[in-house]
Amino acid sequence: MAAKHINSNNNVPVYEYTDINTKPFHVGAFLSLWKETLTPSDYSFQDTPEEKEDAEFAEEMGVPSETVDELKAICSPHTLKSHPEDENLDKDVVPENPSLQTLRLRKKRQDYKETLLRDVTCRQDFYANELEILAMGKRPEDPEDLVPEGELILSVNILYPVIFERFKNVRPHQTFQVLGSQKLTQLRDAVCCVSDLQVSGEFSNTPDMAPEFISKDHYKSAFFYFEGVFYNDLRYPECRDLSQTILEWAKTHEFPTFHTAKMEDTTFNKLTIRIGYPYLYCHQGDCEHVVIFTDIRLSHRDDCLDQTLFPLLTHKHRVITRKCAVCHLYISRWITTNDQLAPMDPCLFCDVCFRMLHYDSQGNKIGDFLAYPYVDAGAFN
Amino acid sequence: MDYYIPPLKADCEDLLNQFQKTESVRYEEFAAIWRKMNFSSIFYGKMAGNEMRTFSRLILTIAYQYFLPPHTFQIRAGGLYLLYGLYHSQLASPKEKIRLALKDWEHVQKFQTDAVNAQHYDVVYILRRLFSEKAFYFAAMPKHLSFQVKRKPTRHTVCEEFWDRSTRVKDLVTSDTLEEIMNVHEHYEKVKAAISATPGQPDPAIHLINKDLGARLQSTVMRFHKWQEETERRRNGYEDAGDTDAGEGTSKQSECSSRAQLLASIKSKSYGQVVEASRSRRHRQAEMDTSASEPNPATRCKRPISLRERTRKKLMSQGSAKQEDLESTTQWRLSMTEQDKLGERRREKKSFKW
Repeated sequence: MAAKHINSNNNVPVYEYTDINTKPFHVGAFLSLWKETLTPSDYSFQDTPEEKEDAEFAEEMGVPSETVDELKAICSPHTLKSHPEDENLDKDVVPENPSLQTLRLRKKRQDYKETLLRDVTCRQDFYANELEILAMGKRPEDPEDLVPEGELILSVNILYPVIFERFKNVRPHQTFQVLGSQKLTQLRDAVCCVSDLQVSGEFSNTPDMAPEFISKDHYKSAFFYFEGVFYNDLRYPECRDLSQTILEWAKTHEFPTFHTAKMEDTTFNKLTIRIGYPYLYCHQGDCEHVVIFTDIRLSHRDDCLDQTLFPLLTHKHRVITRKCAVCHLYISRWITTNDQLAPMDPCLFCDVCFRMLHYDSQGNKIGDFLAYPYVDAGAFN
Repeated sequence: MDYYIPPLKADCEDLLNQFQKTESVRYEEFAAIWRKMNFSSIFYGKMAGNEMRTFSRLILTIAYQYFLPPHTFQIRAGGLYLLYGLYHSQLASPKEKIRLALKDWEHVQKFQTDAVNAQHYDVVYILRRLFSEKAFYFAAMPKHLSFQVKRKPTRHTVCEEFWDRSTRVKDLVTSDTLEEIMNVHEHYEKVKAAISATPGQPDPAIHLINKDLGARLQSTVMRFHKWQEETERRRNGYEDAGDTDAGEGTSKQSECSSRAQLLASIKSKSYGQVVEASRSRRHRQAEMDTSASEPNPATRCKRPISLRERTRKKLMSQGSAKQEDLESTTQWRLSMTEQDKLGERRREKKSFKW
């Protein structure tokens, strides 16, 4: 029996710990299992005409077409409306004396909101909604770029590496949707992290030189770690195998053996993963992001179907930016130490204020200080 | 969004409870209850940004659970209607989809064949309608997982009345488990024999379990199974009652009501005869009773007072500090007029707690 076959197969994701994570399974095998069980029309992007559906239903159940029409009338979604069509209810207001418990709770919230002098939506929510809607149901201009039917869409959460005090209850992260046929390197390139933008060095004598060297161009090595395998990015000759140190260390400490693979050769379909389980993305030597696959599913008609837009950013946590100590207006670009002109040590400045305060009109340095370029954590907001 | 889970569950269970009382699987009955409760209004009320989408997703995930075992066929049909109703009355656009997990697929197929065999046309029609409307995501898991480890894990409680009890004993004691119990028992006897003073004979002081545990358990299960079949046959006048795996019977009203009675009788029997149950079962039943008597295990415990607060209270009670001294001075305003002080105190912060 097909059902038995599915049950005994260990590529069917099942909970390891309920509501937390699943047991490991192979992504490609999971896809083929779904494809075996479904008919292509179940996941196709086209609609089956309703007449055809009805005829099929009548045939399979062995009932006359009148019965089907009757069924259709009985089961139409209109039967769920409590009010006549013409009554235009304001759906933004919870009705008076609701009987449902959920509504009672929402009513309480609504009453509270009415007592507020000003009511602002949290900006995180506001932007999250915009970002979510942006790509929804988008079709490509070129039909070549259409996501093929029955393609997998994986949702990946990439957590921010910094753990500030205020993040104790929130896990700030970016969420990407990637296709099963895409390579790990495509996700790696899509991840934006401020440590890629860092500029190392002291530039108080030549402030115009600074922005030319960012870490992303200098240190291109990175790896993903999923289920005992390190996927190293070795696309460029200057890339190094960052996992080497860990492997060697693990050998001397009696860990189970780890394997390595090339990131650029691996697609997501080839991975073996657990959903909901924390993995690692490491770049710039020691900038470590926890990576969690939150979801895998077949692509759907209402998804973004433009292949070129993937990996698609669907959620981004916005970080509070640190402003310039002088103008309190612009985001800081410089950090100075040993600075006689600054009120504290270290001190943050935006580009304009920094130059106005520390250099004369000819661009000569005034006073004695050390200046380093500063990249704000909120640079990607 | 987690604060919505208990009320949402309560609402869904309320609806399904009323549906269960009709003792029917007809969609008209369901729709009538839906309209009476005005269930579509569950989506009303202003929600900011993507809150509506998250809420739709949450309620669909909750309703999805009623569509799966271990619920009775009637509740599962109600769960299907619930999904159908919620899917169509949600206010998000494009509509949020119902997430169907691969591991649940066989249950859905079994449900569909059961419904086809019993000729519940409306159940089959609505299921097919949802498929053709592309209302499902074919996903790996019924919800997004992001390693949300809780200090106190929330327990999944299945509403007792909705539970399909008839096959529980069969599910629990399969031939595999029976064999394993026998093996374990054999091993246990051997170990006992090995440690006893008289070789080959277990010490009578540690004779705690019946020798023929496996055989007795098997006969008890068989007896229960036979009794169950007999009562079912007697109540239904079925011909095919010998085959308990036949799924759902024909769509007669009488069948549904007799099924409910059967459930009630099994329930009363299983509760009334705790003493008679075998050793291993007794422990289980006691467990079940406790779970029924404490419906809300996740009561929030109060947070202890912080050290700062305790110190402050102590200082205040000793009278060594005045109220004003303890008020922290904000950096941006080193001095304050009397007027401001009064104003500050009057405006106490009220924040909303879910």
